Amino acid sequence: MTTPVVLRSDFAVCLWIPLFPLRCEERRHPELVHRPTALLSPHETRRLWQVSSTARRLGVRSGMTVSQAIGLCPSLSLREPDPVHYDETFSHLLLALEDVSPVIEPVELGRVFVGVDGLDGLYGGPLDQAEAVTQAVRQHGGCDSTAGHPSYRLGWARGKFLSWVAATRAKRGTVVVVPDGEHQAFLAHQPVAVLPITSDTHRRLRQLGLATLGDVARLPEPAMVSQFGAEGGRAWRLATGKIADPVIGHQRPEPIVAGLDFPVPAADRTVLAHAIDTLIERGLRHPRRTGWRVHVVRLRAMLEHGVSWLTEVILKDPSAHRDRIAAPLNTRLESSPPTGAVEHLAVEFTSFARGTDELQLFARDASSSARAGRRQALHAAAREIETRFKRPLLSHIVEVQPWSRLPERRYALIDFEP
Amino acid sequence: MVASARTPLRIDRLRALNVPQSVHVLVDDHGLPTAVTNETPDHSTTASGGPNYRAVEEILEIWRIDDEWWRHSLTRRYLDIVLAGGSHVILFEDLNTGGWFLQMP
Repeated sequence: MTTPVVLRSDFAVCLWIPLFPLRCEERRHPELVHRPTALLSPHETRRLWQVSSTARRLGVRSGMTVSQAIGLCPSLSLREPDPVHYDETFSHLLLALEDVSPVIEPVELGRVFVGVDGLDGLYGGPLDQAEAVTQAVRQHGGCDSTAGHPSYRLGWARGKFLSWVAATRAKRGTVVVVPDGEHQAFLAHQPVAVLPITSDTHRRLRQLGLATLGDVARLPEPAMVSQFGAEGGRAWRLATGKIADPVIGHQRPEPIVAGLDFPVPAADRTVLAHAIDTLIERGLRHPRRTGWRVHVVRLRAMLEHGVSWLTEVILKDPSAHRDRIAAPLNTRLESSPPTGAVEHLAVEFTSFARGTDELQLFARDASSSARAGRRQALHAAAREIETRFKRPLLSHIVEVQPWSRLPERRYALIDFEP
Repeated sequence: MVASARTPLRIDRLRALNVPQSVHVLVDDHGLPTAVTNETPDHSTTASGGPNYRAVEEILEIWRIDDEWWRHSLTRRYLDIVLAGGSHVILFEDLNTGGWFLQMP
């Protein structure tokens, strides 16, 4: 039994791309860059999730209802979220960062810590290490810039909290380096808003007149603990720089195998294709797969008379979708089928690419894949109708003034254009 | 996973839904509707309305809305009714023009 390698790093570069999903949309649709734009919430489509700076200047805020937002900004462009696309883009970014350091800790879409311990021999000092991260981001070619302006910010420091605060202080496309030993002076001027505490604790800190981390650090630790409990104690230690959480990377999981025995040897392609779907679903449900995308998948079969059959597919885009994983396997099954009836069939996920916590929200199971499949089918049907009749005949119903006493003011129709 | 419909929503492309439909109504002595049709009535219309009319079976609720007096005044008397055959609809009388309109609840 091998001892697991602990991937950790005390010093970190925090890479932060604010409003990452919105940046992804602007990259796909450059015409949105100068328009007031908002993404709808993935969980509650009546509310806004992310709001562009242009829309924010017009008073639109995250969490508003669509009706409120349109009332404030009639020219607002609303877009439905595409979490799978954001997640895929972020995964590609993480893969690019793995070329810089093996210690990568994603936190949320657009925010990732890169462990940099020991990289000085390879790249040089903190600025050079940050430059290596910048090069990886540019090479990734993802959502690192908007209309030619870089949208990422970098912070270099000891520990995740300090590097995160440094990144929030950085201007677009630049890095803020906090040398070891200067952290207290740096933290003292930062607002308490950077502390990872509840909104209620933030409010109480403001009511007590504590505006900066320096104000918090000047208090004795027992006073913070007695006022705010364990959360207050942690906030005090962060504000004084007494704790510096290291970056913890994760090793890729062991291969995941799902197999089944056929009671009667099967040679029919339809039966085998159905079995592949079932096995992929089972593999995707495996707890070790959570947070990871499948990169390499193998299909192996034990045939009658003791013969075996094996094929391996490397997915160009690592995926957690059943259909995307199954498609190349089925193609292989058609082009070079087993030479006899199959007695035992197994699917192995042998290599993985990182996902994020948000991936788990959207793509962790087969049922969510099925939802995406239905949506894709709907899009295909809508495109076909539009092609045939030269105009979109499908519409969405959108809320306009759902509270109105006049029924005709409550809802409206808008063309469905995939 | 939620795939995107990729549909930018713009209010200039919105089309009204549940627009009131003009109808002809027979009323009783109290001004309450007894039958409804969406066709122009002819001179042979009887007290029960004739074959093109649908009788009002039940009036569930009546309310009045006075609104938007600062621009085009809206004064409407709404009736939540059930038509013969069981259709549940909203009927309103525009008290400014005297016209009757039908729409879905």
